[in-house]
Amino acid sequence: MEYFLQQLINGITLGSVYALIALGYTMVYGIIQLINFAHGEFFAAGGYVGVIFMSYLLSQGAPAWVCLSGSLILAMAYCAMLAVAVEKVAYKPLRNSSRLSVLLSALGMSIFLQNGLMLTQGVYDKAYPTELTQGGFEMGNVMLSYMQLFIVSLTAFLLVALNVLVFKTRIGKAMRSTAQDKVMSALVGINANRTISITFAIGAALAAAAGIMVGLYYGSVRYDMGFVPGIKAFAAAVLGGIGNITGAMIGGFIIGMVEIFAAGYISGEYKDVFAFVILIAVLYFRPSGIMGENVDDTRV
Amino acid sequence: MKRLFMTVLLAAAVIMLGSGMAFAKTLKIGTMGPLTGPYAADGVDIKNGVLTAVEVMKANGGIPGFDAIEVLPQDTACEPRQAVATANKLINEGVKGVVGSYCSSATLPASEVLDEESIVMITPASTNEKVTSRGLEYMFRMCGRDDDQGAIAVKFMLDKVKAKSIYLVDDKTSYSQGLADGVEKMSAAAGIKVLGHEHVNQGDKDFSAILTKVKQQNPDVFYMSMQNSATGALMLIQARRMGIKATVLAQDAVYHPQLIEIAKDAANDVYLTFGFIDDNAPAYKEFYSAYQPKFGNPGAYSGYAYDSAMAYMMAVKAAGSTDPAKVKAELMKLDYDGATKHVKFKENGDSGSNYIIRKVENGKFLNYWNPATGELY
Repeated sequence: MEYFLQQLINGITLGSVYALIALGYTMVYGIIQLINFAHGEFFAAGGYVGVIFMSYLLSQGAPAWVCLSGSLILAMAYCAMLAVAVEKVAYKPLRNSSRLSVLLSALGMSIFLQNGLMLTQGVYDKAYPTELTQGGFEMGNVMLSYMQLFIVSLTAFLLVALNVLVFKTRIGKAMRSTAQDKVMSALVGINANRTISITFAIGAALAAAAGIMVGLYYGSVRYDMGFVPGIKAFAAAVLGGIGNITGAMIGGFIIGMVEIFAAGYISGEYKDVFAFVILIAVLYFRPSGIMGENVDDTRV
Repeated sequence: MKRLFMTVLLAAAVIMLGSGMAFAKTLKIGTMGPLTGPYAADGVDIKNGVLTAVEVMKANGGIPGFDAIEVLPQDTACEPRQAVATANKLINEGVKGVVGSYCSSATLPASEVLDEESIVMITPASTNEKVTSRGLEYMFRMCGRDDDQGAIAVKFMLDKVKAKSIYLVDDKTSYSQGLADGVEKMSAAAGIKVLGHEHVNQGDKDFSAILTKVKQQNPDVFYMSMQNSATGALMLIQARRMGIKATVLAQDAVYHPQLIEIAKDAANDVYLTFGFIDDNAPAYKEFYSAYQPKFGNPGAYSGYAYDSAMAYMMAVKAAGSTDPAKVKAELMKLDYDGATKHVKFKENGDSGSNYIIRKVENGKFLNYWNPATGELY
């Protein structure tokens, strides 16, 4: 039982990270039907901005909460701007061409950003300060570290904030209507370009938050860190029903849990296999994912 | 008549080409290692080690008969296919000596290609047994072998830790899995109970599921065989956070300054098998003082790469040419104190293993236990 509980905690933590990244994929897909392969790079960039700023703040003797929230806000803002720039440069000029060309442009952007990170930040891992991440609760043999608690609660907060933004605000309304019909919403006075930019910015900001959490929790960031979680989060978005926000969250948690339980009870070697088997099985029975792709109300 | 004329012309061309090569005044040394991808740090260390050796050689008067020494770094990315491609590229460049590569999985296929062309290859870091056991003519190795390394690890567990049980984790490369399999077998034969042997994937960051398993099994020794020191560091941080009490034993690929930079306090009390390097030896000091100002603190295999390049250049110097048979004969004659070890090649190309147990204490790698004497340093 203790073993199960511990693995459950591990699974929820990993699932939170996937869920946050998956949201960016799903929001962008919802609004312009593009699988943004460069999304994993926003996650990596967020991790880097976080570590650079956090180390600086710590060296200036700032208290822990200032370091954490300061670097979190800065990284999210930086990645939001980066995503808007990427959209303007690589995707907007191709908006009316075939979906394949935009997809290739996204792949190219991913390679460009990853190599840019390698050239500017080097090939070595960059270590996060570990002073902030020590300790945790111990109940019997079950460990719940403060970091895990931080990750899960921050994810929960961001998910709630995102839901409020999408379903309760004017911007959210504009996003939903642009997702449903770009031309029609433009006719009623919604600025499609601005709305698309905002969607990219929000998705990248969430990925940046995930990047910092991963850096803090696992201890380091590396220029190619965006690739594997990017693929997993993409799978999570598809699993939940791409284009569907609730689906992406559920998908992220499912992939995280499956991975952890497969590694914990079967074999670490095949955990990815199990994650993707679940994906295939779900898509076989529900081709549009768990929540479905075309639930127009919840689509962004 | 026309045919005869063409033949003469061709013969003249061949002679000119041949003499042109004989008068070539640049010694080309290829280096192979991962310069991109997850092991890029180690590949860069190797490249820097070779560059340092060339600088030192030049400062000491260079090689008579060669005006210049050129280093051609190649990126294998630790991928077998890319390694073969880079080997072919070096062959086309007319390179006669190669230092590299890092990963055994890249060295094994690349060396087959290079050996066919009689090109000398000295690996500073590939420890898999097969590297020198295939009977290749021009394959040399500056570092130790995994069967020796595994044996020392098991000896340490038996004699010093007095371990009754072990749990192994590797990350599925020729090197890391080969080594872990060897340790598993030897441990079982020595009566240490093997509680489990897990494999993780390249690029994984989250090891919580496996570490929870390890914690539940509660082994005396947790053996960590990772190809990448940074991955090892991440695993350590998570293991310590989870409260795993086992003695952590790792190997030469985890031995890298990165381990301590990333894992910080979590790296303390980790034991590692690595070749004995005498920091106070004059040759090491010469290497260090040339390397450090330019590239920072040497990585795990910078010194071995330096020695590999040095050995090759000394052999070329003695042979007076890059003719492979002559260079090989001179390499076999070498018998001197290098920066990292006493360089003396055996018949199969190995230069002998001298593994000891090192330990991380207060953020530093220290020599800890000498398996030959069974005593602490």
